[in-house]
Amino acid sequence: MTDLGPDSPAPRRAVLPRSSPKLVTGLALIAAIALFGVAGPLFVGEPGAINDIGLAPPGGGHLLGTTQLGQDVLAQIAYATRGSLYIGVLVGVMATVLSALFGIVGSYVGGAVDEAFSLFSNVMLVIPGLPLVIVISAFVPPEQRGAWTIAVVLAVTGWAGAARVLRAQTLTLRNREYVLAARVAGEPAWRIIVVEMLPNLLPLLASQFVFSVIAAILSEAGLSFLGLGASNSSTLGTMLYYAQNGFALQRGAWWWFVPPGLIIALFGCGLALVNFSIDEIIDPKLRTVPRRIRQRRRAPAPVERPAPDTAVSVRNLSVTYGNAVPAVKDVSLEVRRGEILGLAGESGSGKTTLAYAINRLHRPPAQVTAGSVTFHDRDGGDVDVLALPPGELRAFRWSQLSVVFQGAMNSLNPVMTIRAQLEDVLATHRPHLSRSDRRARCARSLELVGVDPARLRSYPHELSGGMRQRVMIAMAMLLDPQVMIMDEPTSALDVVVQRGILREILRLRDELGFAIVLITHDLPLLLEVSDRIAVMLGGEIVECAATEEILAGPRHAYTRRLLESFPSLTGERGAFVRSGEATGGAR
Amino acid sequence: MTTLDVKDLVKDFRIRDGLRGRRLRAVDRVSFTLTPGRTVALVGESGSGKSTIARIIARLERPTAGQVVMTDEGGGRVPDRDYRDQVQMVFQDPFSSLNPFHTIEHHLIRPLLLHGRARAGADARKKVAELLERVNLPARDIAHRRPHELSGGQRQRVAIARALAPGARVIVADEPVSMLDVSIRLGVLNLLARLQREENLAVLYITHDLATARHFSDDILVLYRGRVVERGPADEVILDPRHPYTRLLAAASPNPEARGRSLDIDAAAVVAAGEAPAYDHRIQS
Repeated sequence: MTDLGPDSPAPRRAVLPRSSPKLVTGLALIAAIALFGVAGPLFVGEPGAINDIGLAPPGGGHLLGTTQLGQDVLAQIAYATRGSLYIGVLVGVMATVLSALFGIVGSYVGGAVDEAFSLFSNVMLVIPGLPLVIVISAFVPPEQRGAWTIAVVLAVTGWAGAARVLRAQTLTLRNREYVLAARVAGEPAWRIIVVEMLPNLLPLLASQFVFSVIAAILSEAGLSFLGLGASNSSTLGTMLYYAQNGFALQRGAWWWFVPPGLIIALFGCGLALVNFSIDEIIDPKLRTVPRRIRQRRRAPAPVERPAPDTAVSVRNLSVTYGNAVPAVKDVSLEVRRGEILGLAGESGSGKTTLAYAINRLHRPPAQVTAGSVTFHDRDGGDVDVLALPPGELRAFRWSQLSVVFQGAMNSLNPVMTIRAQLEDVLATHRPHLSRSDRRARCARSLELVGVDPARLRSYPHELSGGMRQRVMIAMAMLLDPQVMIMDEPTSALDVVVQRGILREILRLRDELGFAIVLITHDLPLLLEVSDRIAVMLGGEIVECAATEEILAGPRHAYTRRLLESFPSLTGERGAFVRSGEATGGAR
Repeated sequence: MTTLDVKDLVKDFRIRDGLRGRRLRAVDRVSFTLTPGRTVALVGESGSGKSTIARIIARLERPTAGQVVMTDEGGGRVPDRDYRDQVQMVFQDPFSSLNPFHTIEHHLIRPLLLHGRARAGADARKKVAELLERVNLPARDIAHRRPHELSGGQRQRVAIARALAPGARVIVADEPVSMLDVSIRLGVLNLLARLQREENLAVLYITHDLATARHFSDDILVLYRGRVVERGPADEVILDPRHPYTRLLAAASPNPEARGRSLDIDAAAVVAAGEAPAYDHRIQS
């Protein structure tokens, strides 16, 4: 397997939730209550058996006391739990099937079917659920109001919300390339839905199922409490109904109504906890990573005075994710004033991690384990970036050392105007500026990057990708930083647009004299525009030299291979292609 | 000779513009022919309509006008039900073109069975192994894995194997290496070139990268806003571009040999360039 080189495999996509305290607690609660509901009735007596000691408190012959009629509360709860679970699962299954049918099939087929299904779901969604249930239940005569009737009523009124969620997800899945590939391969539509798409919808379906079970148990309890529940079955809701009718509260017979209420609450709580865990599979961002308050303190590295024109010096920096292999290993690097330092490397080479660590933007589990980052202010004075307290760090970022992120053009806030977002930066970092000064500075910074200041009134979606990227660069320059780190600033853009932006960046550099760390995999681009180039591989800088030197003859084999990976536009065909696979960068 | 003729292809998209719909012409009367053993490159920026053409050929999209006709060895038109046996596609993003839920084997067995290239069971598994070997992947090691356990380059090889599985004669490769790490791109392109030679495939190579387009293909069509602005043999189009837009693209590509040159590109020139009449090297030179 020769390909397992620089591009490391993507992180595993979980199918089952990770074990967490939430999940374990939730599962334990559900298991305990389900076991009680399933097995409990086998061990207790007849729940309806009438006894002559009414409203006896817990103890003696009746573990949980008795009701007004002298029935054993424990026996009643066991049967009632079984009844509630039965209805809950029944509704869960029916609602999930309905929502899957209307949500998935409609959106996959598209066109008029989708419109019709979607309209139907929306209509069902705006019908207020519980009142409708009450009306329907009231219409069905009590003698026909069995558990099934109630379950059908609850399912019919409860599926629409889930269908909308599923529809949204299906719409995105439908355009995934693996679904398109299955269509190109000639798979029939039903197979694409069942075999290709459904497994990827499972976490969502499971979550919707769990949710509808909770909703069903609660609604059923509510209905029964109102006396509109199933007539011939006993559920936790009917227990509460009888407790209410028997004035349990007024008579202080807490053992009659607290246990069923508690079971409803605990079961709902357990299902909700499980649901949180399922949600984390759907959206891994919800996983809370325990955040370290204190970074491991490194011994301050002995910094010998760097050359006077150095803006940032990085010494022996190592960054580790958790306890795994370091992403950045013992990197030393200097950024000189006003230069363009190119940082070349492929995915997984640690170039982005390094850039983030320089500005301390890395987040746990990433952790700086060794080394130092020193910022040399042009007015004299050194700043140990890794030791800055939070307040000063905030002031330092942006104003001295700013970052343009990868895909930055998509990180503008879509509901704020460009002006509001630029002024926000100024309001935070330069609070003493007057309103008119702020406006003038925002306008000027847009002019600098070649965007008409009239665009300040625009919202991000009204601008093209190239323009949004220019706005991000303007934002990074707003506070006149001494160093700018740009992580793939133009990779998502067309070459013609890319060229225009690079020209602006270079012109500004000449005018304002800041240094740029330009991170990209595009080595030819770096060779054309940067002064020095550092090549990263596996977390280490394998070669760092002036661009002319690298052009003249790269010393490291990997640099050579990177260079060979870009066939020359106008030069010889070289090792490349159509001559055979054995030569060149073939792997 | 099996050929695929694209004739006067037009695709309009309706865009919602306030209350009224507006039409956007994504593809504007594009014609070309794919023949066995030859590669045609469609070059253009985003929005030039190159991916739309790919999707129409792969029958994921219907053209507004024009047609795509496949002719078999006897000169007869390939019927629609056999079209997908003959035309397959390699997608851009190997991280999303394989279903995360299924094994690699599943991805290859399905097209084999669907197109009657193998019988279910041992025969199909043997054919899967052969396919994987053909794209230089160790079958024993790979077949039972899931996509997330493979690297980007390995996944794209699987995607190529999948396109070969139905026994296709025409492969549409939509930016097949742009999502891969640079050092493995040429390896994947070389693999495609080798398979093309061995099976005498017709390949449509879609890219925004002029350099690989030049080295990898026989003919180049340069697209701008859905229109072919320049076409001709690869070397002629790149080394001697006649249309101002092609010249602009070539000038904008990073070029280490031209260090320190002016980066200036006149924005108005882009629009003006696109308006110039199309140039065909085979007719006009």
